[in-house]
Amino acid sequence: MIPALWIPCSCSAADEETTTNTLEEIQRLRSRIETLEKKAAETQPAASSASVLTNAAAQKSPLVETTLAKGWRSFQSFNPEISAIVDMFYHADDSADGISHVTDEMSGFGHSHSGEGHDHGAIENGFNLRHLELQFSAEVDPYFKGTAIAAIDLDGAEMEEAHMETTCLPYGFSIKGGKFYSDFGYINAQHSHQWDFVDQPLIYQLTLGPHGLNDVGAQVSWLAPTPFYLLAGAEAFQGKNDMMFAYSGDSPLPHHNGPRVGVGWLKFGPELPGNHGLQAGVFGAIGRDQEAHDGDEDSNSDHWLDGNSMFWGADCVYKYNSPQPHCKGDLTLQAEYFNRRKDLKMIANDLNPSLVGNHRIDDQDGYYLQAVYGLFERWRGGLRWEQVGLINTTELPDGSREDFGSSYRAGVMIDFTPSEFSRLRVQVNRGSYETADGREPVTEVFLQWMISLGTHGAHKF
Amino acid sequence: MKTIVYLVSILITAIYPLVNAGADELKIVTTTSDLAAIAKAVAGDKAIVKNICRGYEDPHFLQAKPSYIVRARDADLWIRIGAELEIGWEMPVLDGSRNSRIRPGTKGHLDASENVQILEIPTVPITRAMGDVHPLGNPHYWLDPLNARRIAGAIAERLAELSPDNAAFFRQNAVLFQKALDEKMFGTELIKSVPAEKLWAMTEDNSIATFISEDANKDKAGGWIKTMQPLGGQKIVTYHKSWIYFTHRFGMSVAAELEPKPGIPPTATHLKEVEEIMKANNIKIILQEPFYSVKAAETVAGKTGARVVVVANSVGGDREVVDYVSLIDLIIKRIIEGK
Repeated sequence: MIPALWIPCSCSAADEETTTNTLEEIQRLRSRIETLEKKAAETQPAASSASVLTNAAAQKSPLVETTLAKGWRSFQSFNPEISAIVDMFYHADDSADGISHVTDEMSGFGHSHSGEGHDHGAIENGFNLRHLELQFSAEVDPYFKGTAIAAIDLDGAEMEEAHMETTCLPYGFSIKGGKFYSDFGYINAQHSHQWDFVDQPLIYQLTLGPHGLNDVGAQVSWLAPTPFYLLAGAEAFQGKNDMMFAYSGDSPLPHHNGPRVGVGWLKFGPELPGNHGLQAGVFGAIGRDQEAHDGDEDSNSDHWLDGNSMFWGADCVYKYNSPQPHCKGDLTLQAEYFNRRKDLKMIANDLNPSLVGNHRIDDQDGYYLQAVYGLFERWRGGLRWEQVGLINTTELPDGSREDFGSSYRAGVMIDFTPSEFSRLRVQVNRGSYETADGREPVTEVFLQWMISLGTHGAHKF
Repeated sequence: MKTIVYLVSILITAIYPLVNAGADELKIVTTTSDLAAIAKAVAGDKAIVKNICRGYEDPHFLQAKPSYIVRARDADLWIRIGAELEIGWEMPVLDGSRNSRIRPGTKGHLDASENVQILEIPTVPITRAMGDVHPLGNPHYWLDPLNARRIAGAIAERLAELSPDNAAFFRQNAVLFQKALDEKMFGTELIKSVPAEKLWAMTEDNSIATFISEDANKDKAGGWIKTMQPLGGQKIVTYHKSWIYFTHRFGMSVAAELEPKPGIPPTATHLKEVEEIMKANNIKIILQEPFYSVKAAETVAGKTGARVVVVANSVGGDREVVDYVSLIDLIIKRIIEGK
């Protein structure tokens, strides 16, 4: 009885003291409790249930707590969480120059013209080490959490993400700043190891490139206090995407101050009964875009364009989480539609100065649909259907207009997940691509293996 | 860009007053249905209690779906099992909820594992080659009624802190819950003559078995402890390492699991070893949750003559299981049936 009565008052007194004093006090109390517990256990092993409840310290009554493991409380989890993910695959296709060459030549989706020109993210026949992803993340303090991710491949290291996000703002707000993946749509914010297929959806690869929209900027998002899930976000980025929001500012192209890209999105998730989950969203973005071209192929730029690129689209993900373990019976249906428009003005043209002031307008779109099902424990199978260029027109500065056809790709995959830390995958793609050289059918085979070392945070829906 | 900011601000001003009504009641969200059952008993009508994982789901394999985020958004108190049970989905839900009141380390975040007895804390360095070993110990501790008793006390204390006006009410409810467990565990008669704490202490080393066989106590003893008495000292086989707290409290032990390593589905070679262990120890019960396939258990049972007992391990996992007491009732009923 005595210890139970004694502890509560001492504890509340200790609360008001300074940290050092409190620590000393706790230490003193702890040894005192232990002595008293020992005594109590020897003399009278019973305590009333009321005393057990009076406070958490009183719960250290010998009867309820004698066997509580000592090691537990001293355990400190890693700070920060550190993980490394190795993502490798083997690839083979039946095209003459490789699949990356085919997708680079696709009509209407002209490849990058102002970037550094390195073929980053291109898939080669044979072995591909996509990257080693090094991730550090932690709660920074009571106000922020932070994440730093470096992607290392054979060409060197690259900062994939480095950002901080608030954890303390009221009314459902959160602010993120740094380098990060835009949260528009569904797949854009996912790292390649989270994808259900080895390769990126074609429309993303052709419009935003292998990294999607990943840039330096800031994001404000707001979780609405509605009875259903409603998240709204607005982002401003510096504008460094080579495919869609390229910028050089070098003469004769005009100078534009950053941020040069704005993105907005809305995500909605109704409360579904049982094990069903659904999230649907809409998104849009607009930003500055500049291109420099070499029309006579003498390795010097000879005409320059400047203007705006924009995209809009919608995404929808449905998940059924079966009660069975290891993904068995789980179903994921996922679809995204993406429409882009580039409206660029001829700023200068060394070959044909009469075109200066005219516009080139590119309108392209695409979508993908995919389904992944848990066939057996740890085994999943998936189907993906993609089409790009349903709308595929280019209005050239000389007033002519080109209409291109559409391309499609179908994929089948089976993956095996031995544990949460490794995954093996087989995938076959069959595509028919509309290119400058005509229609090219290509069959591809992938064998992928991924491992995760260290402590990797859980993934979002 | 400007349009978006403008639209967002209109939305905020329009929606906020509509949905912020009735914010006086405490809102408790628990990760599992068992914690919700205990929280309901303690909070009574002073709080709305919701849980994330339903009783028929495996808490290891949930996905952080948007509706969980909505539940967490409004919570004043978040209670988790802890010991990494919810590691696959808890943080995306808490991050997504933008609710700073319930983040780990705050008053609104209660890790129930800090208040209970945890078994199987690794004493040697662990590697992932050992399977899904929880470095903080085995997280399935809610199946020990003594731990449920402790959780009720911890919840009452935390609620008293969050809502001091109702402190006495919460503590009284916790005592009632604990008394109900005492009576169910040892029988009404026995706890009249022997303090419940003393009896619980005796379950720790199973000296309770001898105690309730003594002439003075034989007729007074009742409840779960009496029903389980014939199985005292027996060994069983389970699918996952999720029953050790239950067997520990009732003086039984688990000789083997059908999973070769935690989180790895059964393999033929491992099942052969399990059969050998079962034959050598004359094991007659294979115990598992409904969400695991019974195929492996039935194969082994066919070769060893054991009985496969499939029973919910969480509140809501079976129609009969509506609260914590009926959960233990059902587990014992199924284990005892035709033993």
